[in-house]
Amino acid sequence: MNVTAKSKTTVLPPLLLILTLLPLLLMPLGAIFVFAGRAGLPGLIHTLSQPDAQFALRFSLLIAFGTAVVNGVLGTFAAYVLSKYRFRGRETLNVIVNLPVAIPTVVVGTSLLLLWGPIGLLGQFLDPLGIQPMFAPAGVLLAHLFVTFPYMLGAVKPVLDELETTYEEAAYTIGANRWQTFRYVILPALCGGLFSGLLLTFAHSLGEFGATVMVSGNLRLRTQTAPLYIFAQFEAGNIETANAVAAVLALTSFVIFMLLQRVTQQRNRRAS
Amino acid sequence: MNNLYIKLTTRWRRWRTMRTNWPQLVRLALPVLLLGGLFVYAVWPWLPGVRGAKVRTVVLYGFSILGEMMNDAVFPAFQAEWEARTGERVEFISAFSASGTVTNQMILGVPAEVAILSLELDALRLVNAGVLPAPTWRDLPHGGVVNRTPFIILVRPDNPQAIGDFADLTRNGVGVVHPDPLTSGGAQWALLSEYHSVRMLGGSDDEAFAQLLGVWKNVVAQAASARAVRTQFESGFGDALITYEQEVLSDRWRGRLRGEIVYPQSTIFSEHIVVVLDRNIAPAQHDLVDAFVAFLWSETAQRIYVDYGFRSVDEALNAANPDFGVIPYPFTVSDLGGWEQAKPYIVDGIWRDQVLPLLGTGGAP
Repeated sequence: MNVTAKSKTTVLPPLLLILTLLPLLLMPLGAIFVFAGRAGLPGLIHTLSQPDAQFALRFSLLIAFGTAVVNGVLGTFAAYVLSKYRFRGRETLNVIVNLPVAIPTVVVGTSLLLLWGPIGLLGQFLDPLGIQPMFAPAGVLLAHLFVTFPYMLGAVKPVLDELETTYEEAAYTIGANRWQTFRYVILPALCGGLFSGLLLTFAHSLGEFGATVMVSGNLRLRTQTAPLYIFAQFEAGNIETANAVAAVLALTSFVIFMLLQRVTQQRNRRAS
Repeated sequence: MNNLYIKLTTRWRRWRTMRTNWPQLVRLALPVLLLGGLFVYAVWPWLPGVRGAKVRTVVLYGFSILGEMMNDAVFPAFQAEWEARTGERVEFISAFSASGTVTNQMILGVPAEVAILSLELDALRLVNAGVLPAPTWRDLPHGGVVNRTPFIILVRPDNPQAIGDFADLTRNGVGVVHPDPLTSGGAQWALLSEYHSVRMLGGSDDEAFAQLLGVWKNVVAQAASARAVRTQFESGFGDALITYEQEVLSDRWRGRLRGEIVYPQSTIFSEHIVVVLDRNIAPAQHDLVDAFVAFLWSETAQRIYVDYGFRSVDEALNAANPDFGVIPYPFTVSDLGGWEQAKPYIVDGIWRDQVLPLLGTGGAP
């Protein structure tokens, strides 16, 4: 790696890329900040310190953390089983677990409502017991788990597929049990995939709208996530307020992506 | 135990003798601190000890244009009054979106205790779906009507088309922007206005029909909701928009209005209905919910409505707002026999079955 000269600083291709991305990506992102900043910094701070804006941001972050943790474990487990075991229906299952990417999120929300809601298939039996997952934080979490499931899987499974079984077999021959093999052989190799999977899940959950709007009931200070808050403010004509929260979301995602990108790069550099 | 001690001390010695790679440490610690900080920020209100005393809550769903007024004025006023009376703190859990959407959500089972809908038709849907046992809102003060707002015509600045009433909207060359009656509650009110205002001014049923047809021949753009159609009008479509007075007034106060209000000689007052969903109210909640519902008709609340551009059900209070225009011959849906009559007779029977077919494909999209 050190033999090749440092990649020479090229100007034209990046410039071309930036020019194409300008109307597609960069200018719309910029517009968020322009509108958020219209009321000036004091106005921005005032907007963001409103209890419902604070709640929406916190609630979104908590759901995103929760979704990342649960799907991090579930997704890794699913990837492991689908990659390491041969069984009937594996191919079908593999396709099914990736479906949430293609299904419109509104449909996901509706189907969750028709399953768990008070008049739903399962919900009608739960309702008399006082269990009501829909229109509550549990419902939002369920929706986010469904919608973001494929991201973890997509990040981890290719790594597992590439990982040669000889390493595992070697571990077994020196007496490692299944857990130790997973902990000391597979997990370190998976690190990069896990990181990017968790990251994608977290970011996707932070921005999820379609399914959430159906299952949350959109209750301010109870189940309203940041994207729902943004939409509600936009509908009410408060464009500055909507964009202030949008700017915070965008900035949060940006910082997290930046930092984690650096970490993964360092890990890769040390590994190689 | 001893084992653990040795383990820890050796680890500590190794740690102390290690050359600290500060940049490396910072680079690793920064993301951890950042994510940790983010997490602490997120859970902060739920941490034990941080959380304040338990407060009582009221869950309210409302149609969209109420949002600002309820959050900024009505809720705080009730909170103050309730705390003064009982010493308890009340928090409002609320959601605002289109009246039809709110109704659908309640049919699907959202835990609303009180709802404010933009037309009684939606409340009647709740009865049909079994959410309400009967039209219980009619037992509330004023038959459940909490406030009103008339339907007016919004025209371009300086009124270049010289539009003075609904009749002028039937002239050739005038473009009308209209919400879609299939989805919008506001559009249903507008239809009644376009039709019945003629009869209020002494016209016949045929003349009323001719005006409704004339207006609809001029419809150049439709959108799903009153809000969306406003956006269309503002982005340059058409010469006139039929909409709620309150919406236009609130825009004017915010300095965002580009256009002029034209008050028709005769128009309908939309009436907004309060619905109490008993099945979602725990027995211990009744005192609070009932007090809040009663508060919605108190003078304090009614004055707030007037401040925010809605017309109070108490006519005397409306004088407090100088911006309200004069409508010589106003009417309400009860003059048409209520929505149970007006919907099948005017909206379905006349507009949908007679006007729409005449428009063919040349008229409304």
